[in-house]
Amino acid sequence: MSVAAPRFYFEDVVLHGVLETPAMTVTEAHVALYGGVTGDGAREHGLVPDLLPLCLTTGLGWRVPQPPLAVLAFMGVEWAADAPLRVGDTIHSRSETTLKRSMKEGGVIIEQRQVVNQRGEVVQHGKFTFLVAKRPA
Amino acid sequence: MADSRRFFDDIAVGEEYESPGRTVTEADIVLFAGLSGDYNILHTDAEFMKQSIFGERIAHGLLGLAIQAGLFTRATQAYATLAFVGLRWKFKGPIKIGDTIRLRAKVTAKKETSKPDRGLVTVERTVVNQRGEVVQEGETELMVERRRK
Repeated sequence: MSVAAPRFYFEDVVLHGVLETPAMTVTEAHVALYGGVTGDGAREHGLVPDLLPLCLTTGLGWRVPQPPLAVLAFMGVEWAADAPLRVGDTIHSRSETTLKRSMKEGGVIIEQRQVVNQRGEVVQHGKFTFLVAKRPA
Repeated sequence: MADSRRFFDDIAVGEEYESPGRTVTEADIVLFAGLSGDYNILHTDAEFMKQSIFGERIAHGLLGLAIQAGLFTRATQAYATLAFVGLRWKFKGPIKIGDTIRLRAKVTAKKETSKPDRGLVTVERTVVNQRGEVVQEGETELMVERRRK
């Protein structure tokens, strides 16, 4: 017997539900790998490239006790940097669903997210817009 | 050695840049999944994606965003950037394995700030594929150093 991996559908998303992820330390290895894949680097040695925390927050979102969101399409992101992040800093992410709108095909979800460092300071924040599948009938 | 970076004073509203192309490969997507920890089936399950509206795996949207940041550094001399301020970004279409993307960028605004040593530069950016289709677009705001008088 095979059981399909669970997915989190539009109907499962709780408006104003808050998710706090485990933390991760951002290392020189992350910076090097990121630089190799993207060709984008840090402005100065010891700093984490500007867009790397944004990229890491999506993976952090997978480490919560909830199945992955059944994303049909990532529609957009608005993002702001509040403070620099340095190699060796430890980040986690906090998110809250602030809008749910049902559409013909799936539904739109807006999530506010923050990346927080080991001192509890918000280093980056913004909002993600996703098109999410509805539970198959 | 002379500082070849471009300062706030050197950058003009209306300037346009076009980057070289870059072919996005399966390896890029696998590496980015490993780096970010985002293993969404959109990017990692070829069999599932055969039945999706895309017909195959697609690149992470944020991989496209990060690659265009890399392409920007190949499109113009480096800015004397002090800080990344923020961005607004839309994912308009998929980037598929084997697609070649390039960045078109245009400086749309310059704003002085309360600090005399820096200014805000807004760059409008469009990521196009080999067919000229816009796959991503948006704008970024950077805090750029001014030349010392």
